[in-house]
Amino acid sequence: MVEFMFALAIGILFGIGVFQLLRRDLIKAAIGFAILFSAINLFFVAAGAFEGEFPPYLSNVQAGRPTSDPLVQALILTAIVVSFGSFSLVLGIVNIISKRYDTVDSNDVTQLKH
Amino acid sequence: MHLALITAAPFCLALLLAMPQTRSQLGKTTQTLLSTALMAALFAWLVGSFPLLQAEQVIVQRLEWMPALGISLSFYLDGLSLIFGLIITGIGALIFFFAGYYFDDAAEYNRFMVWLAGFAGAMLALVLSGNLLMLFIAWELTSVTSFLLIGFSGEKQAAAREGAFKALFVTSGGALALIIGLVMLGGAAGQLITPEANSGFVAELDVILRLDNLHEHAWFPLFATLILLGCFTKSAQFPFHFWLPGAMSAPTPASAYLHSATMVKAGIYLVARLSPVMMQHELWTNGLLGVGLLTMLVGAIFAIKQADLKGLLAYATVSKLGAIMALLGLPGQAGLKAALVGIIAHALYKSALFMVAGTIDHAAHTRLISRLGGLRKELPGLFWVTVISALSMAGLPFLMGFVAKETLLDALLHYSAPWTVPVMLVALVSAAFTALAAYMLVGEVFLGQRPRGLRIHKPPRPIYYGPALLAFCSLVMGFLLDPLIIPLLRLAVTKSFSLPLFAGFNTVFWMSAGVLVAGALLYRVRKPLSGRIAFPLSGDAVYHEIINYIDWAGHVLLHFQSGYVRYYLVWILGSVSLMLVASGTLSTVTAGQTLLPQDLSMTATDLAKIFMLLLTIVAAALTVVLREHVKAAIAYGVIGYAIGVIFLINHAPDVALVQMLVETMATVLIIIMLGQIRPGARLKVIDSLWAGRHDYNFGFLRDLGISIVIGLAVFVFSLIALQNRPERQSIAKWHLENTVLVNSEDAVGAIVADFRGTDTLLEIAVFTTAALGVLTLLARGRIGGGGRLLPNKAPVGSLREKDTEAVEAIQDATSLSTPFTRLVTHFVLPIAILIGIAQILYGGSGPGDGFTAGVTIGLAVSLWYVVLGYDEARRQLPWFRPEQFVRLGLVIGIVNALLPLLLGKSFMGHVQFDKALGIYDLVASFGLHITSSLFFEIAIAITVMGGLGIIIEAIAYPQNRAAADEGLSAVNI
Repeated sequence: MVEFMFALAIGILFGIGVFQLLRRDLIKAAIGFAILFSAINLFFVAAGAFEGEFPPYLSNVQAGRPTSDPLVQALILTAIVVSFGSFSLVLGIVNIISKRYDTVDSNDVTQLKH
Repeated sequence: MHLALITAAPFCLALLLAMPQTRSQLGKTTQTLLSTALMAALFAWLVGSFPLLQAEQVIVQRLEWMPALGISLSFYLDGLSLIFGLIITGIGALIFFFAGYYFDDAAEYNRFMVWLAGFAGAMLALVLSGNLLMLFIAWELTSVTSFLLIGFSGEKQAAAREGAFKALFVTSGGALALIIGLVMLGGAAGQLITPEANSGFVAELDVILRLDNLHEHAWFPLFATLILLGCFTKSAQFPFHFWLPGAMSAPTPASAYLHSATMVKAGIYLVARLSPVMMQHELWTNGLLGVGLLTMLVGAIFAIKQADLKGLLAYATVSKLGAIMALLGLPGQAGLKAALVGIIAHALYKSALFMVAGTIDHAAHTRLISRLGGLRKELPGLFWVTVISALSMAGLPFLMGFVAKETLLDALLHYSAPWTVPVMLVALVSAAFTALAAYMLVGEVFLGQRPRGLRIHKPPRPIYYGPALLAFCSLVMGFLLDPLIIPLLRLAVTKSFSLPLFAGFNTVFWMSAGVLVAGALLYRVRKPLSGRIAFPLSGDAVYHEIINYIDWAGHVLLHFQSGYVRYYLVWILGSVSLMLVASGTLSTVTAGQTLLPQDLSMTATDLAKIFMLLLTIVAAALTVVLREHVKAAIAYGVIGYAIGVIFLINHAPDVALVQMLVETMATVLIIIMLGQIRPGARLKVIDSLWAGRHDYNFGFLRDLGISIVIGLAVFVFSLIALQNRPERQSIAKWHLENTVLVNSEDAVGAIVADFRGTDTLLEIAVFTTAALGVLTLLARGRIGGGGRLLPNKAPVGSLREKDTEAVEAIQDATSLSTPFTRLVTHFVLPIAILIGIAQILYGGSGPGDGFTAGVTIGLAVSLWYVVLGYDEARRQLPWFRPEQFVRLGLVIGIVNALLPLLLGKSFMGHVQFDKALGIYDLVASFGLHITSSLFFEIAIAITVMGGLGIIIEAIAYPQNRAAADEGLSAVNI
């Protein structure tokens, strides 16, 4: 049930992200871009090889308690920071477009030079 | 001396010449002498290696690189390489010297010499290479340098651009065939040497040349054809010969060097190099003989039609290259001796003639044969050089060219059975036309009447030295066969042979004499003759057809380039979704899977997760539905927090912490940016998007359809992936069990800082790059002169002062700057720094690590920018220099990664500094471990903090000032 819900949320988030990217509003497109990242991170956390009831700390491991998968967490950790970097780059691009073309409508942006 | 040094020397010369210091400090003459001396020294070294080579036959030097893939830096020197090496360095020295006086402009000369020296290095690497792949790289380098040299004056002349492109198009097209052929050859050799291992790949020349059954391999016809194609295009064989006349737009020293003496002989070199193992097959020999003879004939006949002096020389070169190819195609390498003599003789006379053409161009400012004449009186020295070289080309006894022609006719006469009659016919006709071309060089250019209006200015004297020396060699080399040429040939030709200057009055001598007379007779009818020469199909026309088709295809494709990037995405994603549906991928992967949940029972945590997931879905839907951007941004923030909570429920506290911090940061950034965009622009897009929301138009339905298909596919794929997880067989178990080895309590921290440390290092570098990208986009003028961080003091255009005030009012967010928020801001930063330090030091034993520390501090700093505005924040936080932080963090990270190497461990290995220093127990009592992981966490924290700082500064940088930096007018409101 939880897996189904995870997959559903990932699918819907991904679809919404794509939809935002396809529309004309560049600010919403940037947000859609970030939603795509969120969907992927969500997939990572759901895709952990096993689920435990404790954080993956050494004391928990040594006590024999079932811990969560540390590998996906390390992956997400780096993914979050990198996706934030890309997202801020996207924001920067939207910002510079709005400055140069005086618009945030992607239909008004047809040339590389203005 | 190592052969690698010989090869590297010309490249070093190119680098030296390219340095600005060289250009400003050394004069043209000094540069000329330096380059000439280097090439002469290399020539002398190659001559000096002669005794060693006589003793050993072959010198192989190898620097292993990727032995598993058969790639190494290998050098192979034998008689064949030596002859080519001597030509490259010897002619090179003379050409380098000639170029110094051919160019009047020092800057132009310098630019030319950089490429020419680079070419010399590439060409030496080609002939000295002992590895097929390295040979190929050098091969391509010669094509590239040739392109640059042909297009040397491409800025001014369209012909130079076209010629350069044509040459590159043909030679690199052939090189594509060549690389496939060489890889197949290497694969075939590997299979023959180690038949049991299928994957063996052998590219070492010395190994390949020892094979004796290569021609029996099933792939032989294919790779032999491909290699021949590569060699034919490079050596301008029919029907690919047309690029060589086009290449004559290069400055003449380049034509003399590349397109006559060396580069066009690269194909010949490779054919001669591989012939010992390839010529057992008739495909190889017949292909060479047929194409070579055809080229020889076509080149010789078309030479006399040319109006341009260099065009004539180019076609004569094509003819000679064809003759050498044909000789290499004779069975049993019977023509190798004649081919090598031909190469030497051709290098001597043709380079001299090219330099003559260059000197005439320099003196008379034209190369059109019809405009030249009677130059004998003006340029007597040049006249004699031309007479000797041209007669050597025609084959007058007892010049060097005579020896070449005698051996050529002799080899063709005795070894071309059963096609002796047609072969000799082609050879004699070509030789007669070559003699005619040689007579024309002397007669039309130097004898007769001087046309009116032809002004001659005397070239500098040293320009004659090179051609004169070469003409002298053509003159005397025939008499020095025994001491010089024969010992050299003995290294390359395995069979016993004799090479007399004069073999008596035999058939070949009479043929040769007859050809000279025939040429003289043709000279009388040359004008009507050249008018009648026409060929129904030319390679040039085919080339232009191909280029036209490419242009046409480009024009057709241009219709799909609407200019709206969004529609490109529609095309890409639309076709992906169409493929997913139409190909049945979705139905295939779902077959046999139970997609609907069977087990509906759930625990309390499951319920919490499902609730948070529903929250993300609702929030994501809200980002679409909410009209205003600010509300959409906040809805986005809700998604981020909900996911953070999911992380927390999934027992991932580190990730949850980073997620919450980063999402906060992202939401803050969106809101800062919204303040910088003119409200009118935002309102316009909102209105235009929502105006038509009641009539669902095609675009809306199309986007909706694509999104639904993509979302559905992602849903199905992730559900299947999640239902088929490998459970406990993951490497994560290994990580959990080995966390203890790196003195860490937190397995996630151990993976980030230790097990997968290199990934993390690269990842912070990527993050920094993204941050610098934002900086360059938004605040180009922010960094003042000298790289110091100074606010830009450039005055803002006063014309639109009122507008800019309005803009600043938005982005300064002064409404947030209340006394209370200022107080909070001042308190938050020190606390954040303390939290950050604690997270770094004790991250090993609980949640938090370098990332969280960096983001925490960055968030506190961003609060300053939001509350106080850009200028105030910069003034109050003078120590916060993000660029320096990034630099420092990356340096710490890299040094920390390299340090274990010094201690004999691997890159990013784990080092326990506290144990090494004997203070383990002392620091452990504070709950600390001083390890390489700790320093790496510090590096991560500093880099992430710096990167965030760069981003926040760039985005908060006042927009009107950025516009002023770029010289743009302020934005209209």
